[in-house]
Formats: sequence, C-alpha cells, structure tokens
Amino acid sequence: MTFSMKRLLAIFNKDYKDLTRNLYVSFTLLVPLVLAAVFGRQGIDSIDLYYMVFNMALCLVAAYIQCSLIAEEKEKNTLRGLMLSPASTMEILVGKGLLSFVTTILVIGISAYFLGYMPENLLIVSLGIILSTVFYIALGTALGLVTRSVMEASVIIMPFVFIFSFGTSLSVLAEKYPILQAADYLPNSQLIMIAKEVEMGTGLAELWSHFGIIGLWVIGMALITMVIYRKRMVD
Amino acid sequence: MESIIEVKSLAKLFSNQAALENVSFSVKKGETFGFLGPSGSGKTTTIKILTAQLVPTDGEAYVFGVPTSKLKNPEMRKKIGVLTDNSGLYARLSVFDNLKLYCDLYDVPYSRIDEVLEMVNMAGERKKVISKLSRGMLQRVTLARAFLHKPELLFLDEPTSALDPVNTRHIYRGLERLKEEGTTIFLTTHDMNEAEELCDRVAFLNKGKIQLLDSPLALRRKFADHTVTVELSGGEKEVIDMGPAGAKALHEYMSENKVTSIYSNEPTLGDIFVEVTGRKLS
Ligand SMILES: Nc1ncnc2c1ncn2[C@@H]1O[C@H](COP(=O)(O)OP(=O)(O)OP(=O)(O)O)[C@@H](O)[C@H]1O
Ligand SMILES: [Mg+2]
Repeated sequence: MTFSMKRLLAIFNKDYKDLTRNLYVSFTLLVPLVLAAVFGRQGIDSIDLYYMVFNMALCLVAAYIQCSLIAEEKEKNTLRGLMLSPASTMEILVGKGLLSFVTTILVIGISAYFLGYMPENLLIVSLGIILSTVFYIALGTALGLVTRSVMEASVIIMPFVFIFSFGTSLSVLAEKYPILQAADYLPNSQLIMIAKEVEMGTGLAELWSHFGIIGLWVIGMALITMVIYRKRMVD
Repeated sequence: MESIIEVKSLAKLFSNQAALENVSFSVKKGETFGFLGPSGSGKTTTIKILTAQLVPTDGEAYVFGVPTSKLKNPEMRKKIGVLTDNSGLYARLSVFDNLKLYCDLYDVPYSRIDEVLEMVNMAGERKKVISKLSRGMLQRVTLARAFLHKPELLFLDEPTSALDPVNTRHIYRGLERLKEEGTTIFLTTHDMNEAEELCDRVAFLNKGKIQLLDSPLALRRKFADHTVTVELSGGEKEVIDMGPAGAKALHEYMSENKVTSIYSNEPTLGDIFVEVTGRKLS
C-alpha cells in the first residue's frame, strides 16, 4: 500500500478550511472552552473538575469532530470523489485524524490555561492526554464509518459523552453497585488517576499500569475500527 | 488498435432485478464511445462498474487491460477521470479550493485550475463558494474536476444534462479539444443529438441490454429508407424513392420549377432507437 504525505496534508488542509466555515460543528469546540473559562473565573482548584472539562473536550472534539468529518463526506457524496482519486482511505482517515488531533490538543491546552491548571509534571500528563486523544479519534473514526450524516453523528456521540465525560462519577456509586467499579477502568478514569498521582509526585515508572490500560483501550478501539472499516469501505 | 475498455458478458443484479444483462463491448484508444439509453437503462451502473464503484454480478470488465477489481492503485487512478451524478463538491469551499484539493491529490500544478475553468466557461467564477452556484455551474465545476489531471480515459455520465445550449456548445468544444489530445471518452446520454455530435460509436442500451452498436453514420445508413421528401410549390409534399424512377420524377419537377424544398429522410439516432426498442429516449 502506498502512502503519500502530500495527499494526507491536502486532506488535512481542506478539512481545516471546511471546519472553520462549519458553524454547526465548530460550535462544539466552544463548549469545553466556555466551561473552562467559567470554572477558571471561579478559581476552582480540583483535578476532577479540570478533567471533566478535558474529557469533555476529548469526546466533543477528538471523537465528535472526527466522526462528523467522516459522516459529512458520506452525506454530501464528496467521499466518492476522494475514493476515485489516488487518495487511499487510510490517507483520508489519517488526514482527518490529524486535524482532530491538533484541534483537540489546542482546545485542551487553552482550557488548561483558562482553568489555571499547571501539572507537577507536564510531560507525563501530556503523554496521558495524547494517548487518550488517539483513543477518542479511533472511536470517532469507528462511529464516522457507521453513521451516514452529521445529524446521526451528533446523536450517536451522546451516550459516549455520557459514559466518558461523566463516567468517573459512576465509581462514587460503586459501593452500592459493585459492577460500577468497572468504571475505574475506563480510559477517562485512568487519565484522572494519572493526573492525581502526578500531583503527588509519582514518576512515570510507577504509572505504567495506567498507561497500559489506556494503551489497551487504544489497541482495542483501533482493532474495532479496522473491522468496521473492512466491512463498510470494501464493498 | 489498442482496447482501453474491454467488457465481456457483464451482468449486474440489484436484489434479483437485472440492471445489466450480457453486456459486451470494447472501446478503442482515442475513441469517443457513447452509451445511449432512456432513464433506468443501466448507463450509470455501467460507469460505476468500470470505475470500481460497483462489483459486477457476472462477466468481466477490463480497463487499460486491468480487471476493474484492481483499479485502486494511485497510478491507475491518475489515468482515469470520472463525472457521475453523485460526485459532490465541498459546499463551503470556493471553486478554486475544491480544485486545489484535487490538484494536490493528483499531483497537478495549480496553474491547471485556470485552464480547466476556461474550458467549462467558469473562468470568472473561481472565487465563488460552491453553495452559491447554480445547478449548471455545479455541473461545469464537477466536469472541470473530472479532467483536471488530464486523464487518458474520461467517464462522463450525462455531462450536459443541466446545461443551457450556450454552455453545452462550450463543453462540446472542450471535449473536442480533449479528444484531439488523445483522450478516450466514455459518455452516457439520453440526448441523441449529443451522441451524434460527439461519438465515434454509440451503443443503444435498453433495459440493461445492448441492442445496437455502431457509428452514428453507419446506423443512419443501415436504417435509411432511401427516399427523399420533395415539397412542391403548391405546398404538397411527395416522398420519392432515390432510384431511377425517383430521379426521373425529381427531374421533371425541377425542370418545371415546382420544387421549393427537398428533405432527407435519413433517420436520426432517436428515430432508430424508437424503431429498435419501441421506446422513446427521454
Ligand atoms: N444501488 C442500487 N440499488 C438498487 N437498484 C439500483 C441501484 N442502482 C441502480 N439501480 C437500478 O438499476 C437500474 C439502472 O439504473 P442506472 O442508474 O444505471 O440507470 P441510468 O441509465 O443511469 O438512468 P438515468 O438516465 O436515469 O441516470 C434501475 O432500474 C435502477 O433502479
Ligand atoms: Mg444515470
């Protein structure tokens, strides 16, 4: 299989231009930013709250933008033209993923600034956020492959926003319902654990299990995406 | 001569309904080949199979000697241009930005954009946003995109269906230029004048089957009834056989200065289509 950086960047540039003119989708970028600004003004200092905003950004930006970028190409029949060109599906998906990635990192960075969040170890936290972003982009890609319109994408993303943004609060109820302890293993919970440990001065070497679990989510999601891709795109 | 498209006993079923049945033909290098048929006859389906957007139920299809299932590699893609009714443009981007994307995808310099826009009479509209264009303008930009990369083989699915006569003319001139440059064109239409004007050979498609295949001229000769209609000064018309008897009659009328007009009774492609299939084209 051939892979061309030029074609990948062409898709990236096109999607970037298109996204800046797409009010409906780019509006969702504002949700985490506004939340961050509001919390920041109130001077709230809580890792749980910071990461609620970050996890929301991961869902609404990484997953949702990726999903709607793909869904819209199908809805408007523009995917046909791309598929008939030398661009491979991989180049198309990765080009979009790159845009979702850059946007997510920007939104989280600006949110952190608004919130006044300065982690003890920026490198470890960044690694955790980058790995999580990859997971959410894979999720968005899988959802984008199964949805046919931006409307559908907006609906299908909702349960994921619920589980992954607010899922961490589920573990509070875990004493009553032990099954909810599983929520601790969600990637968002793991990311918060990393952040909390970092504040206590824990080093990378002792955090490998958290990274490992997020890594497993990435691999699992990537596999699911591959299977859907094979089923949906090769007809 | 080299075959660019080779199709053998092609069939396509959509949930047990035949869209194409036992279709065979070949298109030579540099030729403009027309698929002429009414709505639903299988024209778009044929283009989709030949461009690997659909898998045939039965039969074989080769493009540049390669089975259509193997057309996915970038080098093959660069040799082929496609315009179908479902090829979309990015509504929020300008005409220029849409074509710029495709320049990058096909490795074509941006200077080519003005060239193709000129060919479809859209040179003044390069900055316009796609969502603000009329249907005919959209079709012209889509067409420009189809031959942006100077493909060796161009598939055009009803390229002028949304165009006024002036732009249709303009497109025809553009297509003639591509033909002169050696482009092989596979064209579908239900406009018999278009087929007659552009195509070296036409296939009549009806209900998924090819019913006739030849050059427009040969078809007209084959179906000619060898008569002319003479209009006389009194206003009456007379059909005259083009044999010695007819010549004599015509000579007489002419010597008496009675002829106001003579019409050829050569059938049009449309007439032939109706005669062969019992169906109207549009
Ligand atoms: N994806 C599909 N699923 C089911 N049936 C289809 C599909 N695509 C085409 N058909 C059927 O196949 C037949 C041929 O369709 P096709 O689009 O090839 O016709 P056409 O000659 O291009 O018509 P038109 O001039 O209206 O564009 C039609 O009966 C159509 O309903
Ligand atoms: Mg059609």
